[in-house]
Amino acid sequence: MSWAAMLDALRVGLTWVMDVTSVPVIAYFLVINTSYLVLITLAALEFRSYLRQRDSAVRSLGGELTPGVSLVVPAYNEEAVIVTAVKAMLTLRYPQHEVVVVDDGSGDATFARLQEAFDLVELPRQVPADIPVRARVLGVHVPRDGRTRLQVVRKENSGRSEAINLGINAASEPLVAMIDADSILEPDALLHVAKPFADDPTRMVATGGTIRPVNGSRVVAGRLVDLQMPRGWLGRIQVVEYLRAFLLGRSGWSRMGGLILISGAFGLFRRDVVVEVGGLDPESIGEDFELVMRIHRRMRDERRDYRVQFVPEPVSWTEVPSTLGVLRNQRRRWHRGLWETLWAYRGMLFRPRYGRVGWVALPYYWLFELFAPLLELFGLIVVPLALILDVISVPFALLFLALAYGYAVLVALAAMSVEEWAFHRYDRWRDLALGVLSAVLENIGYRQLTVWWRLQGWWASLRNKKQVWGVMTRTGFDEGVG
Amino acid sequence: MSGRHLLVAAEAAVLAGCVLLALVVIVIKVVRGQRQRRHEAALRPIRPALIEVASGEDEDGSARRALTATTGATRVAVDEGVADFLGKVRGGPADQLVEILRSHGALREAVRLLRHRSPVRRTRAALLLGLSRDRGGVPGLVEALDDHSAEVRSAAAHGLGLIGDDGSAPALLGAIAGPGGGIPAGVAAGALLELGVGIAPALREALASTDSRTRAVAAHVAGVGSFRSLLPLLRDLLAGDEDLTVREASAEAIGAMGEARDVDVLTRHTNPGEPTPLRRLCATALGRLGEPAAVPTLEQLARDPDPRLAELAATALVGLGPEGRAALAGLADTPGGATALTLARLQGALA
Repeated sequence: MSWAAMLDALRVGLTWVMDVTSVPVIAYFLVINTSYLVLITLAALEFRSYLRQRDSAVRSLGGELTPGVSLVVPAYNEEAVIVTAVKAMLTLRYPQHEVVVVDDGSGDATFARLQEAFDLVELPRQVPADIPVRARVLGVHVPRDGRTRLQVVRKENSGRSEAINLGINAASEPLVAMIDADSILEPDALLHVAKPFADDPTRMVATGGTIRPVNGSRVVAGRLVDLQMPRGWLGRIQVVEYLRAFLLGRSGWSRMGGLILISGAFGLFRRDVVVEVGGLDPESIGEDFELVMRIHRRMRDERRDYRVQFVPEPVSWTEVPSTLGVLRNQRRRWHRGLWETLWAYRGMLFRPRYGRVGWVALPYYWLFELFAPLLELFGLIVVPLALILDVISVPFALLFLALAYGYAVLVALAAMSVEEWAFHRYDRWRDLALGVLSAVLENIGYRQLTVWWRLQGWWASLRNKKQVWGVMTRTGFDEGVG
Repeated sequence: MSGRHLLVAAEAAVLAGCVLLALVVIVIKVVRGQRQRRHEAALRPIRPALIEVASGEDEDGSARRALTATTGATRVAVDEGVADFLGKVRGGPADQLVEILRSHGALREAVRLLRHRSPVRRTRAALLLGLSRDRGGVPGLVEALDDHSAEVRSAAAHGLGLIGDDGSAPALLGAIAGPGGGIPAGVAAGALLELGVGIAPALREALASTDSRTRAVAAHVAGVGSFRSLLPLLRDLLAGDEDLTVREASAEAIGAMGEARDVDVLTRHTNPGEPTPLRRLCATALGRLGEPAAVPTLEQLARDPDPRLAELAATALVGLGPEGRAALAGLADTPGGATALTLARLQGALA
């Protein structure tokens, strides 16, 4: 067969593929972006209600029925940040809270730094085995002053999930918050995230706090003092991404009563409920997602009246990946965790017993979170190929791409508008302009790379390849003198 | 219309949407900045007089007279400033600030605004009536507990607590399970605790409510407010309520104000068949009761296989006088006892 004949055959095949798939693909793009707009609209309604209540609610924050909180902080080789982080957590505004640091067999001076800073003494305390933990506990330490509400539990290294489970076992308050050592919390963070528990003490089982990127901002003594857009485009794009997907997406789901994902970096749970479902699954890659799904399933199976809520107030700031390598590992891990959890809970799909979770949230995550990169990759291959083979014209291809990505820009700008109206955390005009620009630039390169990485994560799981967590290289904050 | 035309039209619509949203971001920021500057400019000339009244230093009444005499936009700024200060001051200065509002007709207006179509206005009105602590606002606020907007209901509950009229207790308790999610339990509990001892009958009724949130709030308020006449009902709830949170709230309340006979009541719920969180809570409650009769139970619990329960029981012994401390000394060979002893020494509770 000659080259020309081969090209003709390819052209015919491609034309057929495009004929068959063009309508479904366009419909998919329209539906996915429209669903984002619906979520943003729901989030806007949620924010409106939240902001109206804020004036009167502030006076009742930390009031009657506010439960005590144990902040569980897993720490593995965190010598650089651990003391500042713990001090910042101990000084959070809250009527009753303790900090439980679990040193997960660190090879650096994490424990030594804590021991020196807080003058720790060892207790003969036995940590309850409410949640089974395989690793051996090496000791429990508390400050010598007898007043500072800090426990440091040392254990053999066995991973973040086990460290958190052990921290939950050691926790003495009715609510547990899982917080990364490098998270920067707002002074009122706990007050805001615990408020739904005081509002509805018999039904609320979990709340998620809003997490935002802190790269490029000024942090003093573990507190954010000057919020700025990150210095690199990678960080800036993630700011917009976090706004759209996390803040607005999850607020929308919360409004709808279908919140199934609370970020592991800041979540607040009823301790007894987490114990009841067995804590975090140490084998899971998406352990935070998996935990919330397990809670939903247990509550629905037992026909219990319960609520899971998202708190839109910005409460926690985290350093997002600033290099492509770290970002790649993160996105691979996220998508793998998404796939494995969705697959594990496929039995909840379209079952009346699971209500909105089974009928709306899970199908949405399958269709628009899990399969989205696959569809996008399909478009990324087919459109250029069709262009090269002259199946479509250049103007048509450009129009098609501009529409697909233009709609994505529209969604990102809608998210920014809602943020500016409700929370307006970025003061400077320059930061706003960078945000708008990032919403556009996100579609040039960044989006395509994340599509590829997400598929790699999925593929690795399908091949049963061992998950490597990788190291989150932190550039640190612009840390002033505290 | 061809496919290409459709694409162009859609593209134009999306582009227009993007430009519009970018403009929205700009307009929101500009408008907010302008509003803030206007508010500050209106407040600047009256702030010294406001501070003088709020700090109780307006001895000759000149500052109050000046604030009362304002008109137009300045009067609006004065009323807003007064509302801000009312959340922070009490006593004579607060009365003077309320007098300014009354002379402006702001309280009468607030009662009227409780029926305004805007939930923002209704919420502000409810808050203002509460902050003014004017009993004339009670009927309107009670009615607002059934408002279809959650924020108005919440503000009304908060306001009723500030006014402190015990006659509003049944309405507050009834509103917890009201339509549309009712009022937040924490806000209701806070408000109820401001209403004094006259709310006992309402609490009694609420403890028998079919709504678990209402029962939990009533149990909590009963304990914090030391409503001892409700102990029999609390014992019943601890023994048999279907909701664990209600049982826990009842156990805490009994621990806070119980009698000698409650040692047996709480002890029953430390049995291994009970939920673990409740067993642990009852051990702590036994310590809070302060009855030496609890010592044998706590001594036994300090050897329980559940290390948390054992430690809590041992810790509870510290507060039970010489008998409790003697029992704790005998537990020094157990992990729970040794931990409790170490902590008590670190805290200076034991030598």
